[in-house]
Amino acid sequence: MSAGGSGAAAEAIPQNNIIAFGVLGGLIGIYGAYFLVGMVGQYMSFIGALGAICGMVWGAAAVRRVASYGLGTGVPSIGMLALGMGVIAATFGLAVGGIAGPVIALVTAAIIGLMIGVLANKVLSMGIPIMEVSMTEIATAGTITIIGLAIAMTGTFDFPVVLSQVISTGYIAVIFIAGGLAILHPFNACLGPDETQDRTLMVGVEKGAIAMIVSGIVATTNPNASGALTILIGIALWYVAFSGFYDRTKRDAYDVVGAGMLPSKEELE
Amino acid sequence: MEPLTGMGVLALMGAAATIAGASEDLESDVGSQSNPNSQVQLAPQMMYPHRIYNKAVSGEPPSNALMCAIGGTTASVLMTTGASAALALAIGAIVAAAIHGTYSVTSYLGRSASQKRFKQPIYLDIIRSHTPVIMGYSFITTFCILVVSYLMVAVLAHPFPLPLLAFIWGITVGAIGSSTGDVHYGAEREFQAVEFGSGLNAANSGNIVRKAESGLRNGIDNSWFCAKFGGPVTGLAFGMTVFLSGWVTAVFDPSRGDAIGWVSVLAGVIIVLILILWNRNMEVAARAAFGTYKEDEAEAEVAA
Amino acid sequence: MIDIAGILMQNILYVILITLGGVLISWSVHFVPVGGAPAAMAQATGIGTGTVQLAAGAGLTGLVTAGAMMEITSSAALVIAAGAVGAMIMMAVTMIVGTWVYVYGVGCPPASAKVKYDPITKDRQDLYVSQGTEGHGLPTVSFVSGVIGGALGGIGGSLVYYALMSVENGLPLADLVGIASVFAVGIFFVNAVIPSYNIGGTIEGFHDPKFKRFPKAVLASLIATFFCALIGVLAIGGL
Repeated sequence: MSAGGSGAAAEAIPQNNIIAFGVLGGLIGIYGAYFLVGMVGQYMSFIGALGAICGMVWGAAAVRRVASYGLGTGVPSIGMLALGMGVIAATFGLAVGGIAGPVIALVTAAIIGLMIGVLANKVLSMGIPIMEVSMTEIATAGTITIIGLAIAMTGTFDFPVVLSQVISTGYIAVIFIAGGLAILHPFNACLGPDETQDRTLMVGVEKGAIAMIVSGIVATTNPNASGALTILIGIALWYVAFSGFYDRTKRDAYDVVGAGMLPSKEELE
Repeated sequence: MEPLTGMGVLALMGAAATIAGASEDLESDVGSQSNPNSQVQLAPQMMYPHRIYNKAVSGEPPSNALMCAIGGTTASVLMTTGASAALALAIGAIVAAAIHGTYSVTSYLGRSASQKRFKQPIYLDIIRSHTPVIMGYSFITTFCILVVSYLMVAVLAHPFPLPLLAFIWGITVGAIGSSTGDVHYGAEREFQAVEFGSGLNAANSGNIVRKAESGLRNGIDNSWFCAKFGGPVTGLAFGMTVFLSGWVTAVFDPSRGDAIGWVSVLAGVIIVLILILWNRNMEVAARAAFGTYKEDEAEAEVAA
Repeated sequence: MIDIAGILMQNILYVILITLGGVLISWSVHFVPVGGAPAAMAQATGIGTGTVQLAAGAGLTGLVTAGAMMEITSSAALVIAAGAVGAMIMMAVTMIVGTWVYVYGVGCPPASAKVKYDPITKDRQDLYVSQGTEGHGLPTVSFVSGVIGGALGGIGGSLVYYALMSVENGLPLADLVGIASVFAVGIFFVNAVIPSYNIGGTIEGFHDPKFKRFPKAVLASLIATFFCALIGVLAIGGL
């Protein structure tokens, strides 16, 4: 799967706004869920998944930017890299950080991402001008995704709980892959010369909602998190996002037909 | 564990893995996923719009890992509430198939819409007819992978949790499927119009076959063709991987001492050596049977 | 707060082993003959899929066998050998079935376009390359290279897993297995992607001119894995 063209992608929403949206939305979601579960009740755990969705949309936007330059290999590789870095940083941050865990995890992820970006350009000579920035963004977005979904599953980011409820049970695998695909799939799914930013990001929201539903399924086993509410909000969000995506598809596509023949020769010229 | 029980479980795992591999490959052929999809993607650009599902769910290994991890997670959640394993695995696979359906639809819509300038239309009947087939195959794949993973955890006492094992086997089945069966789809079915017996000439890139035995060709026609060879051999490949990697330790059980463990390693190495020789054998046989594509220039000069 | 220096000093051996494992994974990817998308159309020599995916498939299969072995033996060498065998079997089976498809399904003999003679069998290659392609299938040299790649990847992955499992800590076994396997998967993916950016899509095996680029990827992996190893050991050792 070779993918991507060459050159910068057109952006309706500037990347800096998306970065702010991802970092702030992610952190607010993570800490909001953490405190509100303690103060209001376990059914607030869904906010963690909303934070994760901010991270995923940011990640999808960053993947879109960097993959537009052509990586020489498939878009999926960068998503796997994001979550590979993210899972290491998230586990480390939560394990050592206590209440500051998510922030430490983000900083660690940013360092790993920056390092890989620098290595990619300096040692591997990939020559992609935004590689350093993008790798930092992608690693951080991956970390937000992982922590946010983990909170949606358990209602907290206290490491002993996360360790026994998410990591030892293997649910981290589904966070890894559902989060990773939510980051890499939007651009991969909309790849092509007439790709548009809002349509791609809408897929990001839609895939984020699916990750939210899955984390809600896991949350049903956990007394400190509310599965039902997370699943319901996830399904509603999925419906809204999918409709939004479908509307944008109809707007962007050459033609949407129920059934029909191929375009005729005259049409193609 | 009784060696006989171990062998029985292993045989069941191998059988489930074989089905999983075959359905994985056919699933990717219906939707045209992974590497051969690069030609389906290229076709409209070369003025060949088509009616083939364009399912680019990030390459097969991650997409299968997603299905299997979701299935494993749901099954594992259900089992902690006391559901029976068979029911839990089936429901897990249903959830996974449904989610895979959404991934497929977004890929088809997204990729086709991004080819506006090449005038590739979106056919809604393709979505309606193909997505259920894709989901059906992905249900079979996920269910069989979950059976393999569940047997490893419950009977063979593998230390990894069910969702993680399912995730890993998902990556593996995707890697095998995209390496073996997909070639049959990409190199033969997509370019059936050119003469049999060679690789795709770069000059023909994008010129995929778009007309079928009756009407216009779609992904279901492709899976019909690949079910004759590509799908079954993919199944054999994944079945062999699961079976052989477990067989060496089932026969030479390392829990009876490190020495026997080393015998199992040796057995694995011998299997690999046999496969190398087999490959060599096929290489020689194929060259003898098919001959060369061009004459040796030096020899041609001598002959003249 | 945890005693960073103390944990690191105590576990410096495991940091080194994890780094070595990461470097081996990175090196192993260069051995695996992947033709990427063109190979799926029998347009390039090698296996018709992406580098990362295939390396991960083989390496993680090795991780599964190594994890099973780790339960029943204390011998490091045996765990690592089991990982290597698991990955080698996966790779060899995939390649042999790939050859079935190329020979019986597509009807083209294995041939390399990068060398005129197969370095192992000394067979002529260029005459068997069909028109307009960069070779197809898996000639013996690529097959052997792939097996070596599988073995190194399996060794690397199980080495990382073994080292993480051996770090001094106060965790119950189930939790330790969980965190070690997740770290191993994470480190594996990072080290599978780095060399694939170095290779840039396709490579035929150790006879390919691109193989000479491996020191760059190994260096990059060395730095990246060392950092990952530090934080991995700190995270597990601090518990």
